[in-house]
Amino acid sequence: MPGQIAGATAGTAAFPAVPLQETVLLPERIGELTGLDGFGLGGELLATFLAAFLIGNLMLAMTGVAGPWAKRKITAAFTDRIAVNRLGPAGLFIIIADAVRLLSKELVVPENADRPAYDLAPIVVASSALLGFAVIPMGNGIHLADPEVGLAYVFAVSGIASLGLVMAGYASANKYSLLGGLRAVAQNVAYEIPLVVTGMSVVIFAGTLQMGEIVSAQAEPFVTIAGISIPSWYALVNPFAFVLFLVANFAEVGRNPFDTPEAPTEIVAGYQTEYSSVYFVLIYLGEFLHIFLGGAIIATIFLGGPAGPVLPGIVWFIIKIWAVFFATQWLRSAVPRVRIDQLIEIGWKGLLVLAFANLILTAVIVGLIA
Amino acid sequence: MIGILKSMATTMKHALDGSTFTVEYPETAPDVSPRFRGVHKFSQERCIWCRQCENVCPNDTIQIVTNDQRQGEQYNLHIGQCIYCRLCEEVCPVDAILLTENFEFTADTKHDFVYNKEQLKAVPWYKDIDPLAAREPDRGAWVGEGDGEVDYQ
Amino acid sequence: MSTGLERGGQPPIEVTEDDLEALIGDRALARDDHMNAPGFVIRPDDVQSVLTDLRDEAGFDHLANLTAQEYADRYESIYHLRKYDDPTQEVSVVVPTTTDDPVSQSAEPVFRTADWHEREAFDLVGIDYEGHPDPRRILLPETWQGHPLSRGYDQEKPQLVTLTEHANPVQPDHHDDESDTMFLNIGPHHPATHGVLHIETVLDGETVVDVDPDIGYLHRCEEQMCQQGTYRHQIMPYPDRWDYVSAGLLNEWAYARTAEDLADIEVPEYAQVIRTMGAELCRIASHMLALATFALDVYGDFTAIFQYGMRDREVVQDILEDLTGQRLMFNYFRLGGVAWDLPEPREEFIEKTRDFLDELPAKVDEYNDLLTGNEIFQIRTHDTGILEPEVAKQYGCTGPVARGSGIDYDLRRDDPYGYYDNLEWDVVTEDGCDNYSRVLVRMQEVEESAKIIEQCLDLLEDWPEDERTVQSNVPRTLKPDADTEIYRAVEGAKGELGIYIRSDGTDKPGRFKIRSPCFHNLSALPEMSEGEYVPDLIASLGSLDIVLGEVDR
Repeated sequence: MPGQIAGATAGTAAFPAVPLQETVLLPERIGELTGLDGFGLGGELLATFLAAFLIGNLMLAMTGVAGPWAKRKITAAFTDRIAVNRLGPAGLFIIIADAVRLLSKELVVPENADRPAYDLAPIVVASSALLGFAVIPMGNGIHLADPEVGLAYVFAVSGIASLGLVMAGYASANKYSLLGGLRAVAQNVAYEIPLVVTGMSVVIFAGTLQMGEIVSAQAEPFVTIAGISIPSWYALVNPFAFVLFLVANFAEVGRNPFDTPEAPTEIVAGYQTEYSSVYFVLIYLGEFLHIFLGGAIIATIFLGGPAGPVLPGIVWFIIKIWAVFFATQWLRSAVPRVRIDQLIEIGWKGLLVLAFANLILTAVIVGLIA
Repeated sequence: MIGILKSMATTMKHALDGSTFTVEYPETAPDVSPRFRGVHKFSQERCIWCRQCENVCPNDTIQIVTNDQRQGEQYNLHIGQCIYCRLCEEVCPVDAILLTENFEFTADTKHDFVYNKEQLKAVPWYKDIDPLAAREPDRGAWVGEGDGEVDYQ
Repeated sequence: MSTGLERGGQPPIEVTEDDLEALIGDRALARDDHMNAPGFVIRPDDVQSVLTDLRDEAGFDHLANLTAQEYADRYESIYHLRKYDDPTQEVSVVVPTTTDDPVSQSAEPVFRTADWHEREAFDLVGIDYEGHPDPRRILLPETWQGHPLSRGYDQEKPQLVTLTEHANPVQPDHHDDESDTMFLNIGPHHPATHGVLHIETVLDGETVVDVDPDIGYLHRCEEQMCQQGTYRHQIMPYPDRWDYVSAGLLNEWAYARTAEDLADIEVPEYAQVIRTMGAELCRIASHMLALATFALDVYGDFTAIFQYGMRDREVVQDILEDLTGQRLMFNYFRLGGVAWDLPEPREEFIEKTRDFLDELPAKVDEYNDLLTGNEIFQIRTHDTGILEPEVAKQYGCTGPVARGSGIDYDLRRDDPYGYYDNLEWDVVTEDGCDNYSRVLVRMQEVEESAKIIEQCLDLLEDWPEDERTVQSNVPRTLKPDADTEIYRAVEGAKGELGIYIRSDGTDKPGRFKIRSPCFHNLSALPEMSEGEYVPDLIASLGSLDIVLGEVDR
C-alpha cells in the first residue's frame, strides 16, 4: 500500500499540525488538477512528465543557488572574507552572471578525446543524481514515485555516477583525468558498500525499503521528555549509524576530506580537467546534485524526511538537505584531504567493518526487542 | 578525532564572529603608509639637471635630454619599467623628483607609461600627502661624502 | 648574554691553515686566499681526492657553493667548503682550467649537491665536468647557443633554433610497451608547483618512481644584472626580487653583509638592531606564507588556514610598509646601514609592532588547532618526505629543511652577524626528518623571531636620541681592490643565502654569484619523494618552501 497517511499517525507524534505524507503522489495530483487523468495512459505519462519537470527544476535551481553563490558565501564566512556582493542583493545576481559566463565560453575538446564517451560523461553524471530524486518524499505531497524498493533504487542510480566519472576520466585523453577517474572508481567502490550496509540498518528498523514508509516510521515517538515527545528519527535512535552514513556519504560524493578524485593541488582537477563550458557546467551541476541527493537520502532515512514543526514539510526538507551541504563546506574549510591509499584503507578496513558491526548489532537489538 | 573537531570549531568561530579582513576596494581604500612609494612627481623649477637620478637608476628608467648648454629639454620616465627603488629621490640634491604614494594609475598600452615631464608634473598627491616629510632620509650620509673617492659626475 | 645560543655537544675540531696545507700537500699548486677563507689552487684532476680528504679528514662536510668564472687566460671553478658544525671554518678550493679545453673533474661523487652546481656552471660559464653523471643544461633551454657568462659570449646574437631542433620538454613520447609505468609532467603550470616549476615524474600507479625537477623557467639573469650595477646603489634593489615572497630584507642583508665586508664598511649598532628586527619580521611573513601554502597543498582548495595565514602576514606587511615604504620590494638596507630610522611617531610604530607580537601566541594556538593538532594532517605528513640528515648534508640543504632533519645549523648563531649574538633566542630543530617536522620547525621559528623582535623593540625604544645613526659615512663610489674575493652568507628564510663577489677594481662586481638555499633544497626533492605517493610528492615540495624566483635567479 503506497504512502500510508502519515498525517493520521502524526496526531500522536511530535508535530501534529502538519501532515507529513500524502497518499496522493505528485503526478496523480497534477493529473487531477489539470484534468489530464481523463486521457488514459497518455495523460498519465504527461502528468508524470510535468511532475518530474517540476522536481528536476527545483533541484537544479537549488544547485544553481548553491554553486555560484552559496558556496562562495559560506567559504568566505569561514575564511573571514566578504565574497560576492556587487550584483544584486547580497550578490545573488552573480548566479545569472556566472551562468551566462560559463555557457558563453568556448567548448574546448581535446584532440584525442574519445568522442561519444567524452560527450556522454557529463550527462551521465548530472542525470544520475536527478534520477535519484524521483523517489524522495519532500513533503506537502511533492513525491514523484514511491516504489517498494525505493531505497535500493536511490543507491543504484546514484551509483551510476561512477560510470560517468570513469568515462570522463578515460575519454579526456589526459593523464590527470585518468588518475582522477581511477581514483573516483576506487573510492566509490570502497564507500558504496559501507553506505548501503549502513542504509540497511535503517531498513531493519523500518521494515521496508519504501521511502514513504521509512519516513512514516520515523514519525513514531521515540521518547517523551517533559511532555515533548521526540520523534524516532533514526539519527537519534542510532546515532552511530548516522555518523557512519554521513562519512560514507561524503566519500561517495567526493567531498572533503575525501575529495581525492578532484584533488586540485595533486591532479589538477581530476576527471574534469579537460571539460570546459557547457560540459563543465553539467559536471559541476552533477556534483552539487549529488551532494543534495546525498543530503536528501540522509534527510529521508535519518532525519525524518520532511518532518518538522510549524513550517511546511518541503521547507523542512530543503533546510535539512542544505544543512548537509553546509556540512560539506564546513569540512572543506577545516579538514585536510586524506591520501588515496589512506582513503581506500579507511574505506575497506574501517568503515566496512564498522558498517557490518552496526548492521549485526542493530539486527540483534531489533530482534531482541521484537 | 578531537583534533578534527577542534579544527572545525576554529573555523566555525571565525564564521560566527563575522569579522572580515578583506576590504571592498575601491569604496574602502587601503591605508597607505606615509613612506609608501608610488608614481613619481617631478618639479622642473627645482631640477638642476645634474643627471644623478638618471645615473643612479638601476634599470635605465629615467631619460634626460639636455641641450649643449646643459639646460634641460626633456625628462622622461617609464613608470611601467620602474622598480620603485626610490634611489632617484634619494640622490636628488634638490628634491626635484620624488615618489608620491599614488599607486592607482592605468594605461591602455605599455607605451602610455612613458611619462614626459609635463605628465610627471601633473601627477597628483595621493590624498594630499607630501611624502617627503615621512621619508626624510638621513642626508648627512650623502652630504658628508665620506673619505673615499667622490664621484660628482 | 646569549645563554640560549650555546650549541650542544662537542665543540667542533679547529682545523688550522697549517693542517690544511699538510693535508692537501703537493696537490696544492698555489695559494689563492679569499677574504673569508684560505684558498688552495689544485689541478683539475685532483678535485675528487682533495675534496674527499677535506670532507673526511678535516670535516668540511658542507659544499656551500660552487662559483665558476672565466678570466682572460683561464676558467676557474671555486668550491666553497664549510662545516655544518662550525660554518666559520671555511676553505676554498680553486680549480683553474685552460681556456681552450675547460675540462675539470666532477665533484659529484663527493658531494651530491655538486650535481646541480656543475650543471649550472656548464650552462652559464661553459666549463665541462668530467665524470658528471648528467651533464645537461639546467637553467637555459637545451637548445641554447653559447654560455652567457663566458667572456666571448655575444649578447647580440639571436638564439635561432629551428622548430625541429627545438626540444619541447613536455613533448617527448615516453611511451614504452615493456614497462607499466606512466610518465607525468607535473608543471610548468600546475596548482601546486609554487611558480613555474616542471617536475618530470614517472609513476607506477600512484607511486612515484622517478622525479626530475626541471628548473629555469624563471631565470632572469639576476647574477648578470648585479654584475652590471654599482656596489653603492644599484645592486641593493635586486636581492628583493630573488626570494620575492616577503623575504626581501633577509636577501638584502646577504648582499649588505658581503659588500660591507668586501669594502670594509662599518655599520652603526643602531642600524644593526633595526636590520635585525626588519629581517625577523620578514622571516615571520615568509614562514606564514610557507605554512599557508603548505596547508593549501595538503588540504586542497582555498582552506581557512591559507586565508588566516594571509591575514596574519598582512599585518606583518603593514608594519614593514610603515618601516620601509614598500610591501615586498623593500630596498631598505643601504651599505653601511638602513635607509631610514623608524617612522615617526616612533611610539605608534613600536606600539603597532608590539600589538602584533602580543596577538601572535593566540594565532599560533589557532594554527596548532587547525594544523598540527589535526589527526588527518598528522597522518598525511608523518613519515612522508623523509630526508635523513646525512642526505640533507650531501645535498647542501640548509634552513628549516635542514633543521627539520635534526641538523643544528643556523648562521644567525653559528656565523653571527647583525645583533643576533646579543639577543636571547633559540635555534629550533626537530628530529622527525619528515614533512611534519618541517612544519613544526617553521611554526616554532615564528615564535623565536617574535622573541627577537620583542628584544629589538625594547632596545630601540630606549636608544638615546642622539645616538640614532642609521647609516655610516660611506663613499659615494665604492671601488674595492681588484681581485678581492669573498663569500658571505646569511640565514635567509629558506636557508643559507650566500653571495660570492670578486671585485675587478671598478665600481661594479667582476663576478657576482648567488648561493640560493631553495636551489639546494629543491635538488633533494627526488630523495624525499621517490617511492611515495603523488600527494606526498606534492606535500614534500610544499614543505621545502621553494620560491622559483630564487631557484632560477
